[in-house]
Amino acid sequence: MTLKIFSKRNLGALALLAVSGLLVFWVASAPHPFSAADIPAHTANLENGKLLYNIGGCISCHASEADAAVPAGGKPFTTPIGVLYPPNLTPDPETGLGKWSNVDFVNAMQKGVHPDGAHLIPAFPYTSYAHMNVEDVLDIKAYLDGLPPVKNATKPHEVIALPIIRRGLGLWQWIGLDDAKFIADAKQSASWNRGAYFVGGPGHCSECHTPRTIFMTSDTSKMFQGGPHPDGKGKVPSLRDLVGRGRYKDPKDLVLAFQNGEELGYDKMSSGGMGEVRKNIARLPEADIAAIAEYVMSLR
Amino acid sequence: MISKISTGFMAGAVVLALGAGVAYAALAGDEAITARQTCMKASGKAMGTMVPMIKGEKPYDAAAIKAVLDADGAACAKWAEFWPADSMTSKTLKTRALPAIWSDPKGFEAAGGTYYKAFTELAATTDEAGFKAKFPALGAACGGCHEKFRAPAP
Repeated sequence: MTLKIFSKRNLGALALLAVSGLLVFWVASAPHPFSAADIPAHTANLENGKLLYNIGGCISCHASEADAAVPAGGKPFTTPIGVLYPPNLTPDPETGLGKWSNVDFVNAMQKGVHPDGAHLIPAFPYTSYAHMNVEDVLDIKAYLDGLPPVKNATKPHEVIALPIIRRGLGLWQWIGLDDAKFIADAKQSASWNRGAYFVGGPGHCSECHTPRTIFMTSDTSKMFQGGPHPDGKGKVPSLRDLVGRGRYKDPKDLVLAFQNGEELGYDKMSSGGMGEVRKNIARLPEADIAAIAEYVMSLR
Repeated sequence: MISKISTGFMAGAVVLALGAGVAYAALAGDEAITARQTCMKASGKAMGTMVPMIKGEKPYDAAAIKAVLDADGAACAKWAEFWPADSMTSKTLKTRALPAIWSDPKGFEAAGGTYYKAFTELAATTDEAGFKAKFPALGAACGGCHEKFRAPAP
């Protein structure tokens, strides 16, 4: 007797299974953006927007090839999944964010969803920005809106099967995107809390300094214990016990390292892309660098 | 002493400039890794002596600066031989040298040249004001190489 796996009846059942599987996938991977009504009215604080823009180091990925100080996008960013061309953040209406509304921007920053409904590749660290106060996100938008518009159409990402990956990211976001807002620790100082907010939210330090699970989500049970390098090769160091490991003496030492790097002999922040991160942090007011240092040096 | 070291550096720079670094290299494999790590440790020691003077934690001491820079120059004199292709990885030694050293030889050479210039200019200073003026460029030059060509510390 022959095994009739491919009998008409079985094929019908298989087809039904496949269709219902696709249906479940389609429903489960759907984007869940905010609607305009979810976004509070807010008077923008441009200075705060600029501060957060620098803490986020937006320019490091969104620089244009023509001018490293202008976030008009397009500088190729090589990742293990392919070459990405980060988009233009200037308010040019055609090639930048000029037509984006507040809710569009918040959805990108905190839900990982493009205005057209596509999921954003989490090389853009919305998984960290999701912890930010929405007012701070709006301040960044206001700062970007005030930049001179630059016409620069960026190339499409070079990633295999990108539409399928984008849709699949909706599933990934179920486990990978924790949008719990930052909660201050009343036992700690105001500056410690400010530092913790900067590090965990806009600074998105944990994206590289925390290991990942097999699902490529942040392993929050091992926060800041060091992780894989985003280039796909090598490791990013742990931020825990920096004193015990002989990296920095105290928060003041770390502040000097952030501000000066190797110009003052601090060589531990140069490699692996941290040199650029350091230069972004060096632009912040000293009190904010001190807040970041106070928090980071408290990690044990 | 400085002139002798400078000559060594110059010879190294010439070899690099000729693009003969790899073919000429007398050092090989682990030997090269050990030699360059000895050089980097001497540079680190020099920084350890100079940084407290820059920060104002210790008084300016021209003799101490000359001593550490001379030692650094001596340890790094064979710079051009430090990077044979067979020293990219090692079975026995740990190295933070990145493959970019070998895939971007022009960039690596330029970064080395920037360092050499800053080193020479700092070594030529004779007073505290000059030392403080020239030091940041040397530090930045260390960083220029470390950013692209060295892996992060574990």
